[in-house]
Amino acid sequence: MSLKRLFVANRGEIAVRILRSARQLGLETVLGVSAADTQGLGAEMADRVVVLGPAPAAKSYLDCRLVVHAAKGTGCDALHPGYGFLSEKPELSRLCESVGVAFVGPRAETIEALGDKLSARRLARETGVRTVPGTDHMISVAAARAAAAELGYPVVMKASAGGGGRGMFKATGPAELEASFDKAAREAQSAFGDGRLYLERFVERARHVEVQIVGDGAGNVVHFGERDCSVQRRYQKLIEEAPASAVPDATRERLHEAALRLTRFAKYRNAGTVEFLYDVDRDDFYFIEVNSRIQVEHPVSEAITGHDLIALQLRVAAGDGLGLSQSDIRIAGHAIECRINAEDPRNNFAPAPGRITRWRPPMGEGIRLDTHAREGYLVPPFYDSMIGKLIAHGRTRDEAISRMLSAIECFTLEGPKTTLPLAAATVAHPDFRGNRISTRWLEDVGLPDFQTGRGGHDGAHRIPG
Amino acid sequence: MTIKPQDIEALIALFETSEWDELHLKIPDFEIFLSSDPLARAPGSAAAAAPVVTTAPGAAPSAAGPASAVPPGVSPAAPPAVSSVAVQPHWIAVKAPNLGTFYRAPKPGSPAFVEVGQAVTPETEICLIEVMKLFTTVKAGVAGMVRQVCVEDAVMVEFGDTLFYIEPA
Repeated sequence: MSLKRLFVANRGEIAVRILRSARQLGLETVLGVSAADTQGLGAEMADRVVVLGPAPAAKSYLDCRLVVHAAKGTGCDALHPGYGFLSEKPELSRLCESVGVAFVGPRAETIEALGDKLSARRLARETGVRTVPGTDHMISVAAARAAAAELGYPVVMKASAGGGGRGMFKATGPAELEASFDKAAREAQSAFGDGRLYLERFVERARHVEVQIVGDGAGNVVHFGERDCSVQRRYQKLIEEAPASAVPDATRERLHEAALRLTRFAKYRNAGTVEFLYDVDRDDFYFIEVNSRIQVEHPVSEAITGHDLIALQLRVAAGDGLGLSQSDIRIAGHAIECRINAEDPRNNFAPAPGRITRWRPPMGEGIRLDTHAREGYLVPPFYDSMIGKLIAHGRTRDEAISRMLSAIECFTLEGPKTTLPLAAATVAHPDFRGNRISTRWLEDVGLPDFQTGRGGHDGAHRIPG
Repeated sequence: MTIKPQDIEALIALFETSEWDELHLKIPDFEIFLSSDPLARAPGSAAAAAPVVTTAPGAAPSAAGPASAVPPGVSPAAPPAVSSVAVQPHWIAVKAPNLGTFYRAPKPGSPAFVEVGQAVTPETEICLIEVMKLFTTVKAGVAGMVRQVCVEDAVMVEFGDTLFYIEPA
């Protein structure tokens, strides 16, 4: 590898994860930390630690110039931003380039083009990747009826000037459309001063499906299969799995092709994720956005392909190309990841920072734990609450589920409250086992069942915390 | 028994408020030596033995000071003392507000902002910290006399590193 010294501009489990791969590749490492993170697993693993600034992220992890100055000042030739913080700031990529430090991520222009929703959608259209089908402004009921017939019911009427759900009406058929068209227009007029409406396909049962890709920046892109991240609360993913076994094989192939088409066109460099909404009832998918970074849930893709995505990121950043072709990437088995957040799922997910007084993580066949936590670790209140990710891999989805459940059961974690009990209840739930969930399932069914003690339980209540 | 960073901080705080010259604590797997004399060495320690923490009492009120902020196994990259006068307990440390490059003068070739022995007010500009060509002035923050410049010119400092000692008026 042509890189010598890597600057890690992140904290927590992802800093540890990056350091692990960097060390395996023989790179020297420098970790930039805030004053709150000077002691910890990451700080111990890195060859050198530099204190960027005080605990608040705005004065440490979120300051582009500070991070690049530190990377340059410590003689690093590459910088890995992890996820979150500055990872999708075009400015970071640009600053790194300006001082001759390889940015482990896409070019600044790519981040800009994909980060802006409108330009990303334009890019999708140019490459024949569909977004949620919709119409322009509808001037009459008759025009709306004709358009809806073409889109296919159910449809949703939305105010052109709207947002936040106001002026939105769902119609399951022509009668309903005619009945609410005028009302929707009136409400749009009074709420936004603009009565114009447009129509969109309404997705009754949606799943969040995303394709993991890595590109070399010259138009070569490979994918590492897809993930299903439908277990979400307020758009925050809690459980992710790979592959997305609810998607039929033929659709899955079209999904991969769409992701490759889009990112090849953009000459995408480094790791990225193309997110789609999968419409269960219509067996169709729509482009949402591209995340131009490594993601939290990358381990499930690593588990089913056997590839180290962080190592591949570093290889690409070093200018050594992908070093593999699509046929080198084979999918084997099924993997599930549960995020462990220091939050109390029985108390509206209140953050629960504090000291971990007991930490006995599970071990066993197919179990992986990505974490920076350990016994005695103080979960600081300044940053996001994730303290680790538990990943279970099995030959089948059922085997992954049962390995996950026994791993959670064996996990002794005392101190802060965590989301592990909810994860156990979710994975054990008949709807999850039967793979019948959608992106609304957790809030509509999973959480109420967890809070009232209904649903399927394989010892979910024996988990402390 | 496991010693936590908080325990060490508590020990340092205790030491700082005491009248003691030295504190030496040794239990299995852990040893700490605190002294009010920066030149002191832990008993029985060779050049660089086990954890040795020296602190100028009163000079480091912040728990995030360099001494406690550097994790084990990492060379603290201690800035070379420009002048090596023993730090007095009542001197005030001026610390780096963030990581950056330390400059003693407003531009190359011009005289330094301050020299040892110079009187300062809280508003006196005493150095620059540069981050990617963006320069921030650091003020003395206290009235008194500059007693020590702790960092070489144009060296990268980290957040919390002591830049100057000022003897309050």
